[in-house]
Amino acid sequence: MFGKGKKLVIVLLSVMSLSLVLAACGGNKENNGNANNAATESASPTPAATETAAAPTEQKLTDGMGHEVTIPANPQRIIASYLEDYLVALGVKPVAQWSVANGIQEYLQGDLKDIPTIAYDLPYEAVTSFTPDLMILGANSTVDGGKYDQYAKIAPTFVLGDEVNNDWRKALLKIGEVLQKKDQAQKVLDDYNAKAADAKTKLQAAIPDQSVAAIWLVGNKFYVVSDKLSSGTVLYNDLGLKVPNVVKEISASGTGSWNEISLEKLADLDADHLILVNSDKATGSEALKDPIWQSIPAVKNGHVYEYDRTSSWLYYGPVASSQMIDNVLKDLVK
Amino acid sequence: MKGTMISLAEVRRKRRNTLVISVMLIGILAAFLISMNTGVIRMSPLDVVKTLLGFGTAQQHLVLFDFRLPRIIISILIGMGLAVSGAVLQALTRNALADPGIIGINSGAGMVILLYVAFYSSPTAAPAYLLPILAWLGGGVAALLVFIISYRKHKGLSSNRLVLNGVAISSGFSAVTILVSLRINPEQYQFVSTWLAGSIWSKDWSYVTALLPFIVVLLPFVYFKSQTINVLNLGAPLATGLGAAVAKQQIWLLAAAVGLASSCVAVSGSIGFVGLIAPHLARRLVGQRYQILLPATALAGGLLVLVADTLGRWILQPSEIPTGIVVAVIGAPYFLYLMFRTKG
Repeated sequence: MFGKGKKLVIVLLSVMSLSLVLAACGGNKENNGNANNAATESASPTPAATETAAAPTEQKLTDGMGHEVTIPANPQRIIASYLEDYLVALGVKPVAQWSVANGIQEYLQGDLKDIPTIAYDLPYEAVTSFTPDLMILGANSTVDGGKYDQYAKIAPTFVLGDEVNNDWRKALLKIGEVLQKKDQAQKVLDDYNAKAADAKTKLQAAIPDQSVAAIWLVGNKFYVVSDKLSSGTVLYNDLGLKVPNVVKEISASGTGSWNEISLEKLADLDADHLILVNSDKATGSEALKDPIWQSIPAVKNGHVYEYDRTSSWLYYGPVASSQMIDNVLKDLVK
Repeated sequence: MKGTMISLAEVRRKRRNTLVISVMLIGILAAFLISMNTGVIRMSPLDVVKTLLGFGTAQQHLVLFDFRLPRIIISILIGMGLAVSGAVLQALTRNALADPGIIGINSGAGMVILLYVAFYSSPTAAPAYLLPILAWLGGGVAALLVFIISYRKHKGLSSNRLVLNGVAISSGFSAVTILVSLRINPEQYQFVSTWLAGSIWSKDWSYVTALLPFIVVLLPFVYFKSQTINVLNLGAPLATGLGAAVAKQQIWLLAAAVGLASSCVAVSGSIGFVGLIAPHLARRLVGQRYQILLPATALAGGLLVLVADTLGRWILQPSEIPTGIVVAVIGAPYFLYLMFRTKG
């Protein structure tokens, strides 16, 4: 008798705990809706009185992944993680900036000095704590696994999408459109193109027909930049520098912006000039003492220009590209 | 005289069991409240209560109901699911070291996810539901394979075969996983490894609703079979002698264990240790009888994962440690202690 009673108690307790869980779920659905409405209500009417010539209005845009996004007229608290380069180019300050465990985008710190950081994976609560009124995200992968819906509850969220994100010119114009700074974005682009064309003529005069490669040393391994991606587009496309054969070969088989180059291939590296991004400086750059590295013609001739990992070479965008042009001019046009 | 002694011991044991279950329930409730208070956005307990009652600000609503609550519920559910699945598998295989991983669920799910990521370079192209469904299929197929190989007509499932085949299939799948992971780029690999480490990255209500049916159907199902499990735990020959339809019951229970574990793994990634440790923990507290062992195991599992998830969110704020890792870090020493105690 007694035993049965106790057993019943246990079963009841378990059922109660389960129904508690269920109730929490069911009850939430409504609250869910409430929070949603409240969030969108509070998001729109914030912009402070502005006196821009053509007063911008709220706009509806479709982002790179097909979401229809209502962009506030004059967003004040923008989070555009890993897209800060574009914001800097357009003279906009975000409320938080991209960061990883071991660093931030040093090359932009002139403009982003006092801006707090946010982890690269944008945890929901961290994002919420900045009360953004607009989020701009780059690659599709940033909203993996149903994250988009959650971000959209915090603030209107615009994903550039992989196609736009992989080409900084497209990304710049798109962000210009989102922020209603189209003309400014176009001007940044025109200025850059003019600067690149000017640099190109100077380079052709200074080092005609000489090839350049960008090499990244990290974790004792060498990576070479692709001839069509990242800083490679600046070197070979914008500045018209000659692509070394080894770089062509590796880019054809590799898919990344930076592809690993074996020591054997390194020995064949036929570049006249090398831009070396050294992430191993803190650990002594042992790989640079290797005889194979020492035997590369460009190294023997002293045509190596070293940058550390905080330089703009590992990044991509109008500001980064412009800084790279400055670097190349300084190194190669004497 | 002897009779009264036994019933006295019985009463004492039952009283103890009730106490254990109540303490665990209180523990879950406490962990629930603490977890509700844990996060980047500071909220006092009073704020939490206010918001729960519907008087919070919009931001507090969002944080509590859309970010924290679904995550807490998912943690409890997968803790329960994995733990019970582990308890059932330990009985079926009569092997104290059995857990959902042993019948290949984790490695099967992991391999399918990796293959998918490797062949469709971006995991994002997929709708949010696709990865969990794939993981579920991968886990299920692995378990089915192990099961088919281990099944002998007329003899039913041999527990030794089940364990050995499970190990073999798991290593086979892991080998394929490693092979493929050598060929994908670092970002893809990072995605897969975070997923495998049990980072509960899909934390919204849709995943709660996807997981809940499995738990709500399979936990009671297993519970109503507890007498059968007790008998099966005695070993197939004895169980047959006692009149159990061994093969049929084994299949049903195995299917339930696989269903529980693969749905949990599908939502959470592989949080490995829970299925192993929670039943042991519960067994020490309430004994072998599955009628009481199963509820205790479920609660222990739920509590363990909830605590681990809360700690994972709290220790390295604002970054997060994957839940699977925290479970292993707090689980492993306890498990060793348990082994040490048992031996002595």
